[in-house]
Amino acid sequence: MNTQTTTSGSGTSAASDAFDQLKETVGDVTVTDPKMCARNVDVFYGDNQAIYDVSLDIGNNEVIAMIGPSGCGKSTFLRCLNRMNDSIPSCRVSGDMSLDGEDLYSTSLDPVLLRARVGMVFQKPNPFAKSIYDNVAYGPRIHGLASNRAELDDIVISSLQKAGLHEEVHDRLDAPGTSLSGGQQQRLCIARTIAVSPEVILMDEPCSALDPIATARIEELIDELRQNYAIAIVTHSMQQAARVSQRTAYFHLGKLVEVGSTNNIFTNPQHELTENYITGRFG
Amino acid sequence: MTNPTDDSKQVAPRKDSTSIVKRTLARRYAAEKRFRFYGATAIAISLLFLVILLGSILVKGLPAFTETQMLIDVTLDAKTLGVEEGASEQELRSANYNALIKKSLREMFPEATKRKQKKELYKLVSTSAEYQVRDSLIANPSQIGQTIKVWVLADDELSALYKTGGLTDIANVTHTRLSEQQITWASSLNEQSRLKKQFNATFFKNGDSREPEQAGIRAALMGSILTLLITFLLSFPIAVATAIYLEEFAPKNRWTDLIEVNINNLAAVPSIVFGLLGLAVFINFFELPRSAPVVGGIVLSLMTLPTIIITSRAALKAVPPSIREAGRGLGASQLQVVTHHVLPLAMPGILTGTIIGLAQALGETAPLLMIGMVAFIVDIPTSVTDAATVLPVQVFLWADSPERAFLEKTSAAILVLLVFLIVMNAAAVFLRKHFERRW
Repeated sequence: MNTQTTTSGSGTSAASDAFDQLKETVGDVTVTDPKMCARNVDVFYGDNQAIYDVSLDIGNNEVIAMIGPSGCGKSTFLRCLNRMNDSIPSCRVSGDMSLDGEDLYSTSLDPVLLRARVGMVFQKPNPFAKSIYDNVAYGPRIHGLASNRAELDDIVISSLQKAGLHEEVHDRLDAPGTSLSGGQQQRLCIARTIAVSPEVILMDEPCSALDPIATARIEELIDELRQNYAIAIVTHSMQQAARVSQRTAYFHLGKLVEVGSTNNIFTNPQHELTENYITGRFG
Repeated sequence: MTNPTDDSKQVAPRKDSTSIVKRTLARRYAAEKRFRFYGATAIAISLLFLVILLGSILVKGLPAFTETQMLIDVTLDAKTLGVEEGASEQELRSANYNALIKKSLREMFPEATKRKQKKELYKLVSTSAEYQVRDSLIANPSQIGQTIKVWVLADDELSALYKTGGLTDIANVTHTRLSEQQITWASSLNEQSRLKKQFNATFFKNGDSREPEQAGIRAALMGSILTLLITFLLSFPIAVATAIYLEEFAPKNRWTDLIEVNINNLAAVPSIVFGLLGLAVFINFFELPRSAPVVGGIVLSLMTLPTIIITSRAALKAVPPSIREAGRGLGASQLQVVTHHVLPLAMPGILTGTIIGLAQALGETAPLLMIGMVAFIVDIPTSVTDAATVLPVQVFLWADSPERAFLEKTSAAILVLLVFLIVMNAAAVFLRKHFERRW
């Protein structure tokens, strides 16, 4: 374990001592019914290490929230789960990550196939410059999931329904996806992700660009989606983490400090750093 | 953590800050006003020069779009023609019409008796007049032996005088190479209403000619079209593929840096160097035909490539990375992300770059001189291997000619070049609109 920290910009000296002394994640990183497992993951951008020895499970039918101050590596960790970091040439990942026991970074697993199974929703709504219909139909089309137009229509409509967007847009599926409001666009992006029938959905601060009403709508949606998918969500809002997740993981400067049930983390944090963050003393 | 009780470090608002800001405000607004004035002046000056340029070209070039025809009475005498009655079309084609026209001119102006006078008289009609008489006879062979009225093309000097109205005021004629005698004859023709102006179709039908009234733009226009077609077909796909590869696929390392630097350098190479390359490589080594649009097109596409590559890369770079992430997040392969999402969004920018490159190629003369496209081309090129010239070279050739009538031809050729450019730009604007998507 690397104990050397060079960028401890925040926190009291006591807290930074606590960070230096952090050897192991507090709490149980495993779950009984894991969908994805990460063990001893280190991530480097060139010479900078972004993630230190993180182990974490993502369970079926659960929402796990990842919280922590900016630059703590939670987004990096999330992006490693479907190899979105592959496109960054200087990024290097070591350790084991698996989906249903299959190694994510082995040569036998195609990243394109992986991303069809592990979908992602981004911070900023990013619909394609296509119609609403084509936005949702895009994934099924490239993967050949529908054999005819009727099947495709079914997928599109049911995805829009699951994303809670169908009622608002059913009469203008030909309108450009970019003509929707921010919250609608983000739900469109979720519908687009669901349309590929992934097993896991990764969400990278999905509500940070949205107003409270749109946020509430999406949080409701996340809760419904939990019935069928494993969901990992990165968020800056602790209220949001408390509302939508069953488990919460607290990251600090590239290390996973504490994992536990959301209830325990917010009411009875074990580690000093977690407590500081939760109570708003820094971060 | 800062100590909230420590007052010394707190920033208090300065009492006089409002008056300080007020004082600087006037200065700032004055600076802005000055800047706006400079900008407006710059635009006004450039507009003024544009108007002067276009105005002078239009004034000089527009007369070239009309030509002067002269009505002559020709007796289709079989003996002078050198054919027998009931001759075949073949024989009629090779008959001597020149003698007929000369004869009819002599009959119109019997006072021309001396050899020199006759020569001056014959010069009033274009040398292409015989073809007009021939065509009218071939169209109706039974006219042999009759006297017919034929409109024939007038000579360029007579035409220039007639078009400028010089024939109605012969006392004040300046700038003409016609002799006094010729002017008298011409004004007498004018009085008999034997002269008329009409749209100069010849200009758009013919290739180049030594006689200004017969010279046309067609060969150069076709040459330009064929050359640009080759340029577009070669440079557009290669440049776009290069830009996409470098921007989306290639690893960023020393080699791609080197390639990038070299592409940028290539954009700065003087165009005549590309001409030398074309001469050495394509004509001397690969033995492609000289003066041909195919070689011109290859050379110009080498010149255009860096422009399109650089603008295409900029257009690709401008596509927000979130779109690429969205595509990849759904499991699209890198190529699918590029062709489905990035390229459509970058297309307007790529098209703009292509048009800039092609417009540059359209106006290029120097490299084409090196590969022999400066030739005197009478025949209209129909394929990319025919000898051809291009519009700017034609402008250059005509500007060099001594006959005054080529002056208006030069301006007219520039107008044709500009219209070509406008049509090309309009096509690009149309395509841009077609590809543009709201983002």
